[in-house]
Amino acid sequence: MGRLHLAPQALVCKNTILEGDIRIGNGTVVHIDASIIAKNGPIIIGSNNIISDRVRIINNHATPLVIGDNNQIETDAVIEGRGIGHKNVVQVRGKVVGTSTLGNNCVVGVMCETEPAENVPDNTILFGNPQSRRTRSDNNAEYLEVHNKHLQYVHEMLPRYNAIIGAE
Amino acid sequence: MSSELDSGSQLGVLYYCPCSGCMRTTDAPVKASKQKREFAELAEECRAPLDISTQEQLAVLRTWPIEKLYYCDDCSEVRCPHCVIEEPAGYHCPNCTFDVPTASVRSEKNSCARNCFHCPVCTHVLVVVVVESTQGDGGQSCSVLSCAVCMWDSREIGWEFETSTGISAQIERMRTGGPAVKEYASLLDYWRTVQRTASATAAGNHGLTSSASFKHRLTSAGLHGSTTSVDSLPPYKAACYVDSGAELTEDFKALEDANMIPFNGDPRTKEPQRVRLHMKLSRRCRMCHHILIKPESKAHNSRFKIQLLAANFLPTITFPNTLPAPKARGSLLEHLNTTPLRVGSTAPVVLRFTNPLYTEMDVSVDVGELDAAQTDVLAPRFTLPPFAELWEYDEDEDDSSLASPSASSSGRGSGKRGIIHQHGNQIAIQLDVTPRAQTQKLTIPLCITCTHLDDMAEMDTSDTSTPRRIVNTFWAYVSLGMVN
Repeated sequence: MGRLHLAPQALVCKNTILEGDIRIGNGTVVHIDASIIAKNGPIIIGSNNIISDRVRIINNHATPLVIGDNNQIETDAVIEGRGIGHKNVVQVRGKVVGTSTLGNNCVVGVMCETEPAENVPDNTILFGNPQSRRTRSDNNAEYLEVHNKHLQYVHEMLPRYNAIIGAE
Repeated sequence: MSSELDSGSQLGVLYYCPCSGCMRTTDAPVKASKQKREFAELAEECRAPLDISTQEQLAVLRTWPIEKLYYCDDCSEVRCPHCVIEEPAGYHCPNCTFDVPTASVRSEKNSCARNCFHCPVCTHVLVVVVVESTQGDGGQSCSVLSCAVCMWDSREIGWEFETSTGISAQIERMRTGGPAVKEYASLLDYWRTVQRTASATAAGNHGLTSSASFKHRLTSAGLHGSTTSVDSLPPYKAACYVDSGAELTEDFKALEDANMIPFNGDPRTKEPQRVRLHMKLSRRCRMCHHILIKPESKAHNSRFKIQLLAANFLPTITFPNTLPAPKARGSLLEHLNTTPLRVGSTAPVVLRFTNPLYTEMDVSVDVGELDAAQTDVLAPRFTLPPFAELWEYDEDEDDSSLASPSASSSGRGSGKRGIIHQHGNQIAIQLDVTPRAQTQKLTIPLCITCTHLDDMAEMDTSDTSTPRRIVNTFWAYVSLGMVN
């Protein structure tokens, strides 16, 4: 069956659905009710990601689904593509569908989707209804500071209220 | 459950307002009485004023659900949104909910004077964020406007602010700090000096005109000496612009080819726009200028100081789905108003009237002439008890004649024929509708007359003998849905 590799500092709640070949890096947090299902190919998640509740990361392809570092995947989002880069934000109910990938520093807005088969370039912002896109002009410099604070907070608080895999 | 008449809903009740909508108040008393007379005639002949089946577009203008109607208790008449005068009762910013005093509204051009701006890309409201400055030496913090939705930043147009409050004021200063404005200010100063010296010397030549100019001449003569004249003033030195006459003519010639001029469009479209202020409106009766609706002027307070709604004076007509059954049975009268309508067969329709007043109300229901259906109102006259606390109501008198139209009420209990249910200040009556033709939307006009005694004591009159009777007649259009 599938094997689950958890890095020592990864924080994964017990009430999650984890199937198949999954590797989760250091510092990554997986909240309650998230599903990480590696159906056909493996899923490799980097370090310091925040994967919120009800997220579905599903790999239907044979190739690995690679998620980079420092990403934030918010509530009820869906990642079905081939992977995403670093420092991206997939907002609430955002979707990376089909075989698409996200570059770095991208933002998939609330309820926005990528095209079924596109490689979204770096620094792209998908937003609005009807959906449109633009390129961000800042270098995302302020992202890490806030992200690390978020991570720190979750690492402190989540184990107090939820059962964690690996905790004795 | 008086729902709006849209294409989705099947059942609904609309009330008709007989105003013409564009009455000038000077003609008001004459036209009002004429309309009243015409309306009364129509009511007597039971001819509905609006043939709603054929004039649907007009119906939108003249008929309203009861939630949208007001009532003037001075005139004792219904007022619709067309026959009220609206005036502003307060101005506020929809973003920061700051109440703007009326005097500042005009000076700030109806926009918020604080930090409220729309993003030029996605028009969401911008947030003030403290970031590292890109200008000067790095590491200095400054405030910028940023959009949380599209990640637009005011650094893209070069706007960086020192403080995070009073952004509007800083923008004004930025706009007025340009070289053109500075140049204009220094030019103005220079020519004012010239004018002063010119008038001083002129006054000196023509002799004394007033003691003020005499004093001025004395003091200026004392300071500068009597040799001051216009010619001796130094020529103007440009504050910002450099005089480069030769280059200008070359540029000018190049611009003669108009196609070469780059057109970037209006720069203001790339700039964030200030958020527009919202108004709170109060409404007055068009005839007597009595205030019908007066909201609290504070933005965060959504109550009303004065609230004269039609639903507080006229009975509300609804279609109940279920009614609590008489106590003897202990069950529900269910599936009311669910009989599908077919041509030729009689279906029972249950309407519930609710009395909002604290006095009894006599209601009489007459059906307007209608070719499309024949309607029998089984209870054309009834009295609605007043609105009171629940525990004050007597035992229910119920009479169920709902089983089928043929089995009339003669069998059971006491109570008037046609009254299905009575509870508190509500009475449910039954109409027997026999459609004659197929139609998408069967609408029945009902002429309803409500009479009640005015329980408010008249202040000015000393006549305490009989309180006055108030009669309200209005047409209600009851939509029953599709007829097969």
